[in-house]
Amino acid sequence: MFIRSYKFFLLFFLITSCEKDDICLQGSANTNRITIEFINSEFETTSSLSLNNIRGINKDSIIYEDINTDKLRLPLNTSSNRTDYILNYNEIDDTLSIKYKAIHQYLNRGCGFISNFIIDNNTESLDNSKGWIKKISIVKDSIFNEEKTNLYIHF
Amino acid sequence: MKRKQIYIFIFSLSTISFIVGQEIQNEEIDSLDIIDSLDTKEKFINIDKLSIGVDLYKPIYSSTNNDDLSYELITSLRIFKDFSIAAEIGSLDKYIEDENVNFTSTGEYIKFGFDYNLFNNWSGMDNSIYLGMRFATSSFNNKIENYIVRNPDSYWSNNILTDFETINHSNQNANWVEFLVGIKVETIKNIYFGISLRLNRLISNSSPNNFTNLYIPGFNKVTDDNSWGSGFNYTLTYSIPLKKRK
Repeated sequence: MFIRSYKFFLLFFLITSCEKDDICLQGSANTNRITIEFINSEFETTSSLSLNNIRGINKDSIIYEDINTDKLRLPLNTSSNRTDYILNYNEIDDTLSIKYKAIHQYLNRGCGFISNFIIDNNTESLDNSKGWIKKISIVKDSIFNEEKTNLYIHF
Repeated sequence: MKRKQIYIFIFSLSTISFIVGQEIQNEEIDSLDIIDSLDTKEKFINIDKLSIGVDLYKPIYSSTNNDDLSYELITSLRIFKDFSIAAEIGSLDKYIEDENVNFTSTGEYIKFGFDYNLFNNWSGMDNSIYLGMRFATSSFNNKIENYIVRNPDSYWSNNILTDFETINHSNQNANWVEFLVGIKVETIKNIYFGISLRLNRLISNSSPNNFTNLYIPGFNKVTDDNSWGSGFNYTLTYSIPLKKRK
């Protein structure tokens, strides 16, 4: 009898040790960056721009050293409602202050939470008079993917 | 962590050695008491034993992990020769470090069901190897302490700490069925040590807003897309004989 009961215990450990791991599948939803395009105020057309030393305020590391792009994608701080970036264009610094609401969405055990963002209207550039950014306009306030442009920077 | 494992190890060892010891004893008594074991005339309903006890594992685990005291009280009443009705009541406080979310699970649970003994005791012995089933319900809170936001970009920290957004998902409840196998060994007169292993099948689990209950007190870990769980307890029980033992 006692020997036979071993089989029950063995079965138990077999079943419990085969517990499926919850892994986050590739292609699951993810936290997206903000997508920014640039508008040349002279011609009112989108154009690419060459920026230097993009870094977040209160950060020591530079996120992009030299970038020439027509679509700039920047990560937002998921544990704050505001992210500030210093953008250098033609040796002139300007600070882009992006204000938003971070909405954390639960997916499952493997993936945990992702963050979606709703951009606030009071997103602005902080160095108005001496900066190179003339105006900021929000075209799509929700960030759920990286395809659509969220923000236009007029320069 | 290490200390806990040592406790478990020592306990497993001692429980097993008790059983082996009992087996050897059985063989000795065996030859003498054949006649004695033949004259048992069982009535159909025979309420003869009430057991009360505690789970030894949960209080040790909670105190070594700086959680509030967790405990489980156990009771069973033998109503037929090999059949007992059984219940467990427990209270749990556990900090759980999961892959992406750290949370504290607190709550109470009740399990009610029966045990069926498969072990043929020699006369005068009262050990058991049993199968059982329980219906269980739990009422609990899962409080998210901190978590990591899934983000391919790690320029900014993706750790979300208490001050930004933590949520207490309170008033959750779940129901499940347990299938169990266990052993109980009388080590000193009327004092029993035992282990039971349990497979749990989730029947219902409330779904909080923007989270899922990854842990249910009593049921233990809940996995995605799988309604099976598992558990165990190490028990110390005292039994009150309601009739004189034959």
